[in-house]
Amino acid sequence: MANEDMGGIKAQLRRWVQVGGPFLGLVLVCLFFAFARDEFGEPARESIFKAGNLKIVLVQTVVVGIGALGMTLVIVSGGIDLSAGSMVAFCSVLGARMIVGGSSPGVVVAVAVLAGAGIGLINGGAIAAFRLLPFIVTLGSMSIVRGAGKWLGKNQATSIPNDSGIAMVMKVTSPETLFPLPHGVWIMLALAAITAVGLRQSIFGRHIVAVGSNESTARLCGVRVRSVKVAVYALAGLFFGIAGVMQLARLTQGDPTVAVGLELDIIAAVVIGGASLSGGSGSILGAIVGALLMALLRNGTSQLGWANYVQEIIIGSVIVLAVGLDKWRQGRGRV
Amino acid sequence: MKSPLLAALALCCALMARAADSYTLAVIPKGTTHEFWKSIHAGAVKAQRELEKEGTKVRLFWKGPLREDDRDQQIQVVENFTSRRVSGIVLAPLDSQALVNPVASAKQSGVPTVVIDSDLKSDKQISFVATDNFKGGQMGGDHLAKLMGDKGSVLLLRYQVGSASTEAREAGFLDAISKHPEIKVISADQYSGATRELAYQAAQNLLNRYGSKVQGVFCPCEAVTVGMTKALQDRGLAAGKVKVVGFDAGEQSVKDLKGGDVQALVVQNPVHMGYLGVITMVRHLQGKPVEKRVDTGVSVATRDNMKQPEIDQLLNPPLKQYLDE
Repeated sequence: MANEDMGGIKAQLRRWVQVGGPFLGLVLVCLFFAFARDEFGEPARESIFKAGNLKIVLVQTVVVGIGALGMTLVIVSGGIDLSAGSMVAFCSVLGARMIVGGSSPGVVVAVAVLAGAGIGLINGGAIAAFRLLPFIVTLGSMSIVRGAGKWLGKNQATSIPNDSGIAMVMKVTSPETLFPLPHGVWIMLALAAITAVGLRQSIFGRHIVAVGSNESTARLCGVRVRSVKVAVYALAGLFFGIAGVMQLARLTQGDPTVAVGLELDIIAAVVIGGASLSGGSGSILGAIVGALLMALLRNGTSQLGWANYVQEIIIGSVIVLAVGLDKWRQGRGRV
Repeated sequence: MKSPLLAALALCCALMARAADSYTLAVIPKGTTHEFWKSIHAGAVKAQRELEKEGTKVRLFWKGPLREDDRDQQIQVVENFTSRRVSGIVLAPLDSQALVNPVASAKQSGVPTVVIDSDLKSDKQISFVATDNFKGGQMGGDHLAKLMGDKGSVLLLRYQVGSASTEAREAGFLDAISKHPEIKVISADQYSGATRELAYQAAQNLLNRYGSKVQGVFCPCEAVTVGMTKALQDRGLAAGKVKVVGFDAGEQSVKDLKGGDVQALVVQNPVHMGYLGVITMVRHLQGKPVEKRVDTGVSVATRDNMKQPEIDQLLNPPLKQYLDE
């Protein structure tokens, strides 16, 4: 009897960790910063837990956060997309060249985002049609798209005016208060809501989960696995395109060398958010919280003046911890 | 009723802090591993120690972008220290454009910025503290003319399109040479590209064509100096047969200077740059007027003067004295 009770509590705890894990992480990081001191022995909590700073953290989350939406879909489907950073750079360069060429902001956004979707379509097409490993295909396109970005940008950054319509999307105003938030933050939150509902409620969303959980079973159940895969990578490309526009807005320039290694930040956010790299499970809300957590870690350690290597070690540890938690809660299914 | 009281209290605190004359500065380089930035760091620490002696307490945060040369990460560092409300930021912007908005936001939040090393396309910074590259190029040109006995033919191998600092050096060099009528510039339209290897190839190609006619070359940066020297060595034109004036002191080019294959190096003073960056910021915070443009000086190092303490310090910056690593 007592054993059963223990088992019940354990199972409940596991369920709770699955849903609340990323939030728990966020709370732990906040607690950590509440007590951490800088190299001069002073706490930085007054500046870290200030409305204005929360706004900064949110703005710093936007590019990784929007990328994490696309990456969650890919990872839930059992794949991976390593070309995310290159796509962000490519789309930001494309957008910048078009703005300099005189296109209106609406056209620029549409073309840049569709370009991302197009590259994703090619990725997904290659993966589905030739049954290639997503890791290899996107490793290739990571380099191809990076190169294409440099070619498009003539090997240098293309600057756009600081006051162009696109740049306003990420502009931070009224530094003391949380509101008004830059449009980019609202766009991220809106996209996250739509994607979360879509992944959970729509037939397509359930198909993505099915393909990621067990591809052959999904096929036997009548899921058109190849079409789902192509659509997932195209959709992910769309999100990376939007992230590229956000990056352009933030830098006020399209820089083909930006976002090197960004895909790893994005994947880390998704994993911290509770997704399993073996596919079949993942959470949009978790991914956003994961991105937020990493931005907060950087922001806080920066304000404490800690060396970069400390940040890198902490963020790495958090990722491993998150994967460990994931393994632990999955353990239930296997027993 | 409550909030004016609080405001008054805050004002008192601010005034007291003012009276104690203590500041927190964030010094933000482009990267942290390169020796040039370590020299800047050493200079900042030097300024901190001197200010301490005159009774001004300065706390320094030294923080580069998490990924070297990543503009977005540098923006994040600026934003984070703006949020921290440091007294001031000393920034070496990775890009003259991308860092404009963050510096403007910092100013809006009451955090002033001094820009060092590379210029920012903005009028929001307190001051720009950097090498006068045009003047450095001029000094290089005059020195090369002297080495050549005021006559002969020279080559200029340019660095890269769009690199503002080297373009200023190249312009300065051509300006100085134009005042020596007996000296002819036989090529000044070739660009090397970013790496030593590319510079080496470009120098080989140039010397293939002009090797027999040239008496002097000017190289606007470290990569070009090293590549050009290698190409001259290959053709047996080194060791002073063709005079070489380079720019910047790196390990290899200092070796070449010692060995006699490079006759002179125009060198910047990054320690002084870090030093003046911090000093300028603190003077501004103390309410003293500061110059909009501060020149941190260039010198010409030769084999003869490289042992003199003030030149030796530029070639081998005294990092150990200021940095505990």
